[in-house]
Amino acid sequence: MHSKRSHEGWLFSSNGMTGRTTECATITCSHCQQVMIVNPLRNRERVYCTGCDHYICDGCGAVRALNGGKCRTFKQIVEEAQEAAAVGRTPSGIILSPY
Amino acid sequence: MAKRVLGLTTFTPTATADTTNLVDATYFGVIQGGSSTQRINILEIFMGGQAGSSAPTFMLLARDSTIAVTVSSGTGQTDAAMDASTAALAAPPVVGNTATTKPQRSSTLHLLNLSFNAFGGLVRWLAAPGEEITTIGNTASLGEVSLSAFTGGTPGLMGGHIIYEPF
Repeated sequence: MHSKRSHEGWLFSSNGMTGRTTECATITCSHCQQVMIVNPLRNRERVYCTGCDHYICDGCGAVRALNGGKCRTFKQIVEEAQEAAAVGRTPSGIILSPY
Repeated sequence: MAKRVLGLTTFTPTATADTTNLVDATYFGVIQGGSSTQRINILEIFMGGQAGSSAPTFMLLARDSTIAVTVSSGTGQTDAAMDASTAALAAPPVVGNTATTKPQRSSTLHLLNLSFNAFGGLVRWLAAPGEEITTIGNTASLGEVSLSAFTGGTPGLMGGHIIYEPF
């Protein structure tokens, strides 16, 4: 059992002029790998994929809803490209991201 | 299988729109797979401002819709293995900020916005283990990422590094 927080990255930013610093958690969408800064004041539900047990970005959340909840992670896309190459099927020139 | 650091000691980025040629040495760099199946993880990005006056700079890590061809490193750019005993890969990843065919940032596949003020500001992003940004292969649009300045602001002098791991 692991916490969703164990998936969080870390962003640190400092403003040189004011000396103000910002430190926040980030989430990497497991479907397209876009990195999102976690807004603690967000009221809307964050999209969660039960297929991969990860939070995903709003764009991939919409795609997932349209596909009837189908989960296709970026790691799967990578696996498929490598499997195709291993059996001699060269991936086509363009590999599409889910979002 | 060994972490590497792509560094750039000092440069001034040029603000460039999506799907527009990134001009040599005016962007931090590209990281591209060394073969059609190579996977690369990006673990950390750091940028520190070196400008002498206020310089809001909108740095974006994004996938490229046009892949750079014949890539090399410009002045001040280095690519070094983190582990002293690292062996050379058969297909080393392609990194640099100078190319014959210029890379173009995708308009849809922005991955990480690292805006900061280059007047002494700094920004650092670290991925959680297993949550790294990945590239696969060496073709558009998942085979290359670039770190460059997006339109707007007044990009200023900066330096930084990217830690990545090819497999």
